[in-house]
Amino acid sequence: MSMSSSKNGNSIFNVEELTVNYDKTAVLWDVTFSIPGGQLVGLIGPNGAGKSTLLKASIGLVRPLSGSVQFFGQSFERARSRVAYVPQRSSVDWDFPITALDLVLMGRYGSLGLFKWVSQKDREAAKKALDMVEMLPFAQRQISELSGGQQQRLFIARALLQEADLYLMDEPFAGIDMATEKMLVHLFRVLRGQGKTLLIVHHDLSAVQEYFDWLIMLNTCLIACGPVKEVYFDQNILRTYGRSTHLLDEAARLAQDKVTGLK
Amino acid sequence: MIEFFTDPVLRAPTLGSMLMCLASSLVGVIVFLRKRSLIGETLSHAAYPGVVLSIGVASLLPEEIFPIAVLAGAFATSLLGLKTVDILERKFRVKSDAALTFVLSFFFSIGILVASRFQTTHSLWYKQAEMFLFGQTATMTDIHIVIYGILAIFIIAFIVATFRHLEATNFDRSFAETLGIRCQTIDHASFLLLALAIVIGIRSCGVVLMAGMLIAPAASARLFSKRLSHHFLLAAVFGLAAGFIGNFLSIRLPQGTYVLPTGPTILLSAALLCLLSLLFAPKQGLFSRLFRRLRFHHECQMENGLKALWKGKKVEFPFLIYFHLRFRGLLDKHKILTSEGRQRAEKIVRLHRLWEVYLVDYLGQRAEKVHRNAEELEHLLTPDLEHALTELLHDPKLDPHHQPIPPGPPRTLL
Repeated sequence: MSMSSSKNGNSIFNVEELTVNYDKTAVLWDVTFSIPGGQLVGLIGPNGAGKSTLLKASIGLVRPLSGSVQFFGQSFERARSRVAYVPQRSSVDWDFPITALDLVLMGRYGSLGLFKWVSQKDREAAKKALDMVEMLPFAQRQISELSGGQQQRLFIARALLQEADLYLMDEPFAGIDMATEKMLVHLFRVLRGQGKTLLIVHHDLSAVQEYFDWLIMLNTCLIACGPVKEVYFDQNILRTYGRSTHLLDEAARLAQDKVTGLK
Repeated sequence: MIEFFTDPVLRAPTLGSMLMCLASSLVGVIVFLRKRSLIGETLSHAAYPGVVLSIGVASLLPEEIFPIAVLAGAFATSLLGLKTVDILERKFRVKSDAALTFVLSFFFSIGILVASRFQTTHSLWYKQAEMFLFGQTATMTDIHIVIYGILAIFIIAFIVATFRHLEATNFDRSFAETLGIRCQTIDHASFLLLALAIVIGIRSCGVVLMAGMLIAPAASARLFSKRLSHHFLLAAVFGLAAGFIGNFLSIRLPQGTYVLPTGPTILLSAALLCLLSLLFAPKQGLFSRLFRRLRFHHECQMENGLKALWKGKKVEFPFLIYFHLRFRGLLDKHKILTSEGRQRAEKIVRLHRLWEVYLVDYLGQRAEKVHRNAEELEHLLTPDLEHALTELLHDPKLDPHHQPIPPGPPRTLL
């Protein structure tokens, strides 16, 4: 692991002893790893393994119990403009009255103060991003009229507009059509070619070796982190997806009952 | 009609109601989009004890201060109600709808109790408190226009200033937070504005009817707008219209001793506009949906007619179908398919039979069971789906009933 990371330059995303609890239930426990730049990184693990929580805790959406996270050697607040987050598609209300172009333009809102509106330059950039995900013909469509795959493409285009160096994507392949998945994988490779790093939460094991260079295997605790070739083997997969943590879950549930005073 | 804006007696109620409707419909958009429509109902009722208590206090103050004192009292208990909902939801884990209903009835009861206490001792206070139950515009004066005007401008300024932040926060909160937008501040400000809009509104609509004025214009405007800015603008237009129409009708309609109270009339105007929108909106309106369904039915009938002719059956065309097929050049005057008509018919037959092959080969359906489903799908399958089916099934030549499948367009043969 250390060999490869030195070969690929400095690590750009460091997670240090990160622990996150929801009430008393541990969702992430003492997770430590680092990711080198310019890689396609898969974050895999079963449901409830804490994959989304890991992303959210890293960027301050969920408050960790302890631990620290650094992006490019800085806190998230300082490195904000270099990190783009793509939430799960299901986390937003697609009936919201905005057009595809409006949604993508949100990628530029970070630099907008009060009373500021997007400029023509932003608009052009947004159209270019739409074009990259083959959604330009739909620019003026209301987002509720689009298919799941098309909606996901908009989320990706919005992240592209942020012109970040690190992309954190929560289940971008969930519930989309084959054509979109193919297109996204191609786009991700292009981005990697430009030296960007992509960390992608994923649950379909069949494509792991094809899609990713690096892998983070997570089940509340970190199981493994390293180049796919070095960490993706049966024993790790079994530890990640097996029942090994189910006693921990059971104990956590008991603790939870005591805390809430319901039982 | 112009006298509603110039006449010294009419102008205060008219402009006051319109400003109030403008404010509430703008804030209503935010509440509506967050799917928290009930909160308006709760906050307006929670404002009532504040109104009643401050009427008592304000009677000691100079007359010009009176409207401001009542606004302040209403605002205070309304915020208290909001805070109570928040505590119930977070600390006591009460479900949102239960918390809202509880706070609504609890605060409103207190208001009623205090008002009843006034009834015997201070009948003037009681009358004034009554006024805020269902609203009363007729007694508004120019000072109300000034106050409501300032509050309305304040709300508009907030929405314009934070428009992008409002949009991001309410559409995709976690994303907005990663951009560094202070979503919680936006939320707090939105709720303050909501309470403000409500205390402005209860003077003309009353605490009981206020919530409708928040939601009706927002709901109508949603049907016509595909962008947030349009939603705000249209809601404002609907709100202003409802405010004016309600006032106009309540003064012009009544004959003799019959009185038409303004508050409910404004609300009914807003509701009527909403109903009209639901019926006639271009995309989601009832009539346009009905029209699209009829059109689809008509298309199916045309296609079925072409198909039957292609198979060599005798077809009796209804006049409208015949006329339309002739108009499109699919049929000639001897009721024989033109070459275009034949192409169209072959395409439908092809889709029908392709779909049958798919159902039998891939979904394991029995051949005699698939006809009905294909009968429907033949009108629906898109060229993309046809292409995908052709590839998946390796461009079959025969359907499950051993009927030939007409060849597809050139690109499907690739």
